[in-house]
Amino acid sequence: MIQSGIERKPRSRAAAALVAAAFLYAPLQALAAEPALADASAGLATTRTYCAGCHTESSPAHFQRLSVIRKSPEGWVMTIFRMEHVHGLALPEEARDTIVKYLADTQGLAPSESAAGRFALERRPNVPDLQMGDDLPVMCGRCHSLARVALQRRDADEWLKHMHMHVGQFPSLEYQASSRDRYWWQTATTVLPGKLGGLFPFDTPEWRDWKAGTHAQPTGEWLVRGRTPGRGDYFGTLRVASQGPDAYSAQWSVQYADGKASRATSKVRLYTGYEWRGTSEWESTEVREVFALSADGQRLSGRWFDAQRAEIGGDLTAERADGPAAILAVSPRALKAGTTQEVVIAGRGLKGAVSFGPGTKATTLATAPGMLRVSVSVDAKAAIGERSVSVGKTAAAQMAVVYDQVDRLQVLPGNAIARVGGGKIAPVTAQFEAFGFLEPRPDSAVRTPIALGPMNVRWKLAPRNEEAVKADDVKFAGSIDASGQFMPGAAGPNPERKYASNNAGDLSVIASLDQGGKELKGDSHLIVTVQRWNTPPIY
Amino acid sequence: MNGFKPTNKKAELLLDAADQGHVKEVVAMESVAGCATTFDPGWEVDPFGGVASLCQPMEADLYGCSDPCWWPAQVPDTLTTYPNWDAGSASAWNDWRELDAVFPKK
Repeated sequence: MIQSGIERKPRSRAAAALVAAAFLYAPLQALAAEPALADASAGLATTRTYCAGCHTESSPAHFQRLSVIRKSPEGWVMTIFRMEHVHGLALPEEARDTIVKYLADTQGLAPSESAAGRFALERRPNVPDLQMGDDLPVMCGRCHSLARVALQRRDADEWLKHMHMHVGQFPSLEYQASSRDRYWWQTATTVLPGKLGGLFPFDTPEWRDWKAGTHAQPTGEWLVRGRTPGRGDYFGTLRVASQGPDAYSAQWSVQYADGKASRATSKVRLYTGYEWRGTSEWESTEVREVFALSADGQRLSGRWFDAQRAEIGGDLTAERADGPAAILAVSPRALKAGTTQEVVIAGRGLKGAVSFGPGTKATTLATAPGMLRVSVSVDAKAAIGERSVSVGKTAAAQMAVVYDQVDRLQVLPGNAIARVGGGKIAPVTAQFEAFGFLEPRPDSAVRTPIALGPMNVRWKLAPRNEEAVKADDVKFAGSIDASGQFMPGAAGPNPERKYASNNAGDLSVIASLDQGGKELKGDSHLIVTVQRWNTPPIY
Repeated sequence: MNGFKPTNKKAELLLDAADQGHVKEVVAMESVAGCATTFDPGWEVDPFGGVASLCQPMEADLYGCSDPCWWPAQVPDTLTTYPNWDAGSASAWNDWRELDAVFPKK
């Protein structure tokens, strides 16, 4: 089987009004040099109460099996759920949270160890899985993302027990495709434990250093920016206040490029000294935040998503509000020659005249803490190519690009999956975006392809192959709206289709854009398939 | 086919087809209608990277996946892990709307 896989990126539209909300440049709270992996005594006591009955505490704070594994917070949530569901563990929600916190802090992953698999924690849809040679995709990757494997640490003897657990819990595993045509069990018990123990060992210098170190706190004032695919860029502010050890409240105020403003307060827990996990409600939608705080405490980055529809969400980057003057982002970055458009410049300490370089004229329309709204006119004959942007004495290279026409469209994700929904299972949608590019031209300064950002395009669906034509997949599999969001068809047998097939389909998603009388196109591959009923935090 | 004598109507039709040079029109099934262990058509995507060879409709054999623990990452296995997942939903064809995801939403 193939895990849902692949890439993604967002879009923006013409900038509109700026954030009017007051932004307070309160002095940044000092980055506390305190042992971030908080007081563990309560966590240890709770772990002892609920786990030691089976996982013998052979020496203080060392529990059989439990203490020789490291995982992400989500990984520990899944383990505890399995203990509850399969082995009859009964524990209150508060105790579960305490144990997850204790284990993620004392047996977590260093930032460098979780980096490769973060896309799985962030629930990013349509991201290509990790590449790990020939055997792991067959042995593990037929059911799981390899990111799930890479987000765990054990030594070889514990990886061997992991194999035994799998065959005990899922006994027909050996008889399934790609198991029965090889010596699956022999490989799983002789080759793989050593290999996985070598790739993902329990004890690493990275973890030892991280666990022993001191960690920054996220408290203070931040400037945030991000992009919601299909909707556009947003900018705003964030204030984080402490609510106890590794617990925080976060007040968000953001505004989209289309002018719509939104506010929310999230409840946050910091795991492992950097793993920000927040819950909030935005415009009546329950949202989860999976961010990582950088080691120096100056940057927060990750993804937020709909708690019930994880494929719907956006990227986020936050940087400390106090700091040297800097231009952090320009939206939209593509300026068409011969036009005037509104642009948002986000950054710190933005004071003075705004310039986008020769052949342009910029006028400041409004200012607010953390950003400027400017009107930029570009001469029809302005030189195409990337531009530095400056505000007073602050400048940043390659922040904008002047273009005369779009040379190429690329639709992302290049491969996507959507799932039919109905009954108790929500559909899984797929969001597409068409990115424009300038291609190298001999008569210009453009030497390599330059990304212009998301384009406003027309979308349509087409059958991907002959079978899709025969089965009329375009009619049944779903529809795509003007923002590039694909909504799959309803689940269940469809009596209108041959064999009463589900509304699955094999489609091309085609973007088109008129450029100087010519139609520019780009396309992507979309698989519309059936639902799944096993939906843990890490696939 | 010389030497073979048809013993039923289907065999007669096959001989007729052979006589008329139509044997090549008999092609393999493009869809596995009600799959079996030996076909392993795939859960989300078939072995060819598409969906034309998926078991269709999936509900025709859904409990053939959950009962013997086939595709346990997508379909809760009633063999060992979720024995009551399909309780009260005897017919996947009719009752698929009642089937819920197994991992807690909170």
